[in-house]
Amino acid sequence: MAKPHHKSKLRDLMAGYSFMSPAIVILGCFLLLPIAYSIFLSFHRVNLLGTVSYKFTGTANFERMLDDPRLWIALRNTFKYALIVVPSQTLLAIVLASILNMKLRYRNFFRVAFYLPTVTSSAVLVLIFMWIYNSNGLLNFMLEAVGLPTYNWLGDPSVALLGIMIMNIWSTAPLFMVIYLAALQDIPETLYEAAEIDGASGWQKFWRITLPQLKPVTFYVIVMGIIGTFQLFDQSYIFSAGSGGPNNATLTMVLLIYQYAFKSLDMGYASALAFLLAVVIMLITVVQRLIFKEERLN
Amino acid sequence: MKQRLSVLLLLMLALVLVVSACGSSSNNKEGASSTPSPSTPASQSTEASSTPEPPKDPVEVTLAGWGASPEEQALLQQVLDEFQSKNPDVKVKYEVIADQYMDVIKTRLIGNEAPDVFYLDAFEAPALIAKDVLEPLDGYVTPEFDTNDFEAPMLDAFKSPDGKMYGFPKDYSTLALFYNKKMFADAGIAAPPATWDELQSISAKLTKKKGNKVEAYGLGQAPELARQMFMIKAFGGKLADDQGMASFATPEAEKGLALVVDQHNVAKTAGQPSDVGAGWGGEMLGQQKAAMVLEGNWAIPYLQSNFKDVDFATAEVPSVNGQKGTMAFTVAYVMNKSSEKKEAAWKLISYLTGKEGMKTWTSKGFALPTRKSVAAELGFDKDPLRGALVAGASYATPWQAGTTLPTIMNNFNNQFVAAYTGQSSLTDALKKGQETANKEIKAAQ
Repeated sequence: MAKPHHKSKLRDLMAGYSFMSPAIVILGCFLLLPIAYSIFLSFHRVNLLGTVSYKFTGTANFERMLDDPRLWIALRNTFKYALIVVPSQTLLAIVLASILNMKLRYRNFFRVAFYLPTVTSSAVLVLIFMWIYNSNGLLNFMLEAVGLPTYNWLGDPSVALLGIMIMNIWSTAPLFMVIYLAALQDIPETLYEAAEIDGASGWQKFWRITLPQLKPVTFYVIVMGIIGTFQLFDQSYIFSAGSGGPNNATLTMVLLIYQYAFKSLDMGYASALAFLLAVVIMLITVVQRLIFKEERLN
Repeated sequence: MKQRLSVLLLLMLALVLVVSACGSSSNNKEGASSTPSPSTPASQSTEASSTPEPPKDPVEVTLAGWGASPEEQALLQQVLDEFQSKNPDVKVKYEVIADQYMDVIKTRLIGNEAPDVFYLDAFEAPALIAKDVLEPLDGYVTPEFDTNDFEAPMLDAFKSPDGKMYGFPKDYSTLALFYNKKMFADAGIAAPPATWDELQSISAKLTKKKGNKVEAYGLGQAPELARQMFMIKAFGGKLADDQGMASFATPEAEKGLALVVDQHNVAKTAGQPSDVGAGWGGEMLGQQKAAMVLEGNWAIPYLQSNFKDVDFATAEVPSVNGQKGTMAFTVAYVMNKSSEKKEAAWKLISYLTGKEGMKTWTSKGFALPTRKSVAAELGFDKDPLRGALVAGASYATPWQAGTTLPTIMNNFNNQFVAAYTGQSSLTDALKKGQETANKEIKAAQ
């Protein structure tokens, strides 16, 4: 390699990095360092209150997970939650987007109306829903009116998580609806015209053209949906006033991490749990990529 | 590629250096400020008072507490104003922590941003005392402060195992039976129940149903440890052993707790607030969805101001197994160990928990005084509504049980709700709660 060339390349590099340095510093400070620090913490026993001490304990924090019944409850709740919420909200988003993509009258009004729940702060939504779920609230009133059994939605462990699910499906589906709507409008009209000439019905067009064309977007929506559901915190926190109750029914992974970190001040174990959550989410994403990649080649 | 990586690494290294430099410099500062503070605060206090003080800017002391009703807040402000007019050299900055009080206080203690003086519930006290973040107050106490004037159980709640005082209780409340007089009269009941059997039998008379739906329960219950700990003790059960391990899964403890659970699940004459769409017991009674509830002093001003048309009275908690029992809750003012204004902080604490300050603070009956002299002067033991609460103080179980109580409470509450809602038997629930709690306690040690 010629030296002058090398020098100019170095100068280019320096210039490039100096332009990027604000971003690198911010990312480093608020993303990379905390990640590295939390990995560091997860191998230590940390005492923060009083005399600050870090004691290296090897994998003790990870071994503790095996024997922590609350962790398994939290994982089970989180999986159950994701398993129901992600498909439902994706399906609802496709349906809503397809409806809005038709040439309806007052289309813009419906677009705004459907999107409103997503704009509302989740804390406000939870509080409103807690009124709806109240024993004398709107939901029980409606169930009673049509002769269905009523529940103590806030106090009964068997339906508490379901309450949060319903609320979240309703509030996040519109966000994905907008993404689907944009994708729907990107599908070339010519494809549908060609299909019509071939005599395809409306259902066939949807099934054979729309859905396959939406595949990359669906991948994105499902990945984001799963990440979002695995990070469920604010709703169950407000719903149960931070306890994850009744009877651990609304205890999610992130709420458990919060409890260990800020209620028990056990930062080491909490970091180890956060690490576990990251690994779980990554694994699920990798699996999804494998499934979707296979079909993308076709 | 390699080169780019090395540049990146260099940058990262520089960043780490900068950040760690920041960290260490703040550490130094902290060390410097904490070293000159003397280990014996008493010597400092005599020194400060003996030298004539030149007029200077007042010292600002921060005081933090949780929020309360506007009337209570105004009363506290009145006490603080009186204190400031008597001590012009101290200025009090009062902060309200609206939510998750202990989480905020603990985090601020770690970050060295904690207030100089703050409220501490007896239930959290042992854990904070063990962590050595509170200032022992023995060195500051003068004979005029008169420690013996305090009710002993309330004072003991803020003592460390080796007998040092870490806080002085500002007020307390016990639980008493609150009942709706009109509902009692309508059901033909003349007097409040004296025993738990009586309570259960009149609950049946007081429960009003419309079809299958209960409109008003005889008794409003709170299925949580803070309210039910005395039931564990009623038949000789114990919440935790001497090592701080949970030990509530015994037949004795179960016998007391079964009285609570069975009345909800079997007799169906008692319910929890969420069963009728209320937030807590006081609201249940106020909305006339329960004829009786076990609540504390805090319910009196609440009911009087929000439900003026509800005519209620109080009585001592009915005896269980022939013994009187109730819970006692108390809160103290404590001092932050790393406070830089300990002298002024003590002035504030000693005024707030002193005879004069406590008299003003408890004068309106929002809270009961922990000083015997103040209690005698205000005469709450003869008050028609508060007499039952004061009477409970002598036999109450204080809401406290060592450093592991938060863990035990969390697991007990979770399992107890399962039994209370009929999802599992009480025996299984208690066993599971105890196992989980002890596993967690062991893992955290």
